[in-house]
Amino acid sequence: MTEETLLLGILAVVTIIFATGVLLVRDNFFAAMYMSATLIMVATISAFFGIEPAFVLIVFIFVGAIGVVTVALASTYREHSENGNSWKMWLIPAIVTAGVIAISLYTTLGRVPVGRTIAFELASFLSNPEYILLVISLTALGILLMFSVLKMIGGADECQ
Amino acid sequence: MSVDPINLSIIYITSFILLIIGYSTAISSKDIVRLLISLELMFGAVFLTLIPLFSNLSETAFGITLVAIFTSSAELLVLIAAIILFDRKHKDLSTGLIDVGGDRV
Repeated sequence: MTEETLLLGILAVVTIIFATGVLLVRDNFFAAMYMSATLIMVATISAFFGIEPAFVLIVFIFVGAIGVVTVALASTYREHSENGNSWKMWLIPAIVTAGVIAISLYTTLGRVPVGRTIAFELASFLSNPEYILLVISLTALGILLMFSVLKMIGGADECQ
Repeated sequence: MSVDPINLSIIYITSFILLIIGYSTAISSKDIVRLLISLELMFGAVFLTLIPLFSNLSETAFGITLVAIFTSSAELLVLIAAIILFDRKHKDLSTGLIDVGGDRV
């Protein structure tokens, strides 16, 4: 068994542990937090195979938008009363996360070449018809979504 | 990172377990918010199964991933709006209040 396979196995086990937390915990808020952690681990497995765009899409769109709304919804409609000392439980993971980010920034910033220019141009992106089709499709999806939500709520008058 | 049979097995087994946990959470859920959480978990399992497709058809796989992520996000947003409307109407989010839908034999 290679080191990569071992690392993939560890990532898979951590993913399953987080998912089991969703099933076992009774509070919806913590279930939503475990669900977000599970999806971040799924995105990490994608990045492990070198699919960084999928990582970015899952973390920013799915976890960053939908996951955060779900956490907010679960926090609003939570069944149990909030424990006053529960914030202290998050102190240690927050410190560990801050430490990992600080170490990774310290080790990677030295390898970034100074003075490198960004080669991205919007004109070259928009000249590709496949990207145009994708942008139009996703815009149409967003507009249809907003229309359906407005119709469900009862029109624009109730949104004011 | 190559997708050899061992890695493939790990991915599919993990995805299957995630899907089973999502199903179990959906079946045992007593309110709609937990149902939403279980649906997101099941979508995570779907995203995991797309990874091996990148080894053969990377561009097609990325297109499928893009469409899957955006459509599932849109679907979940509509569900979130439906949850808020349901709460506005019933002042409760229990699944026991939902008595419509399904076949009536």
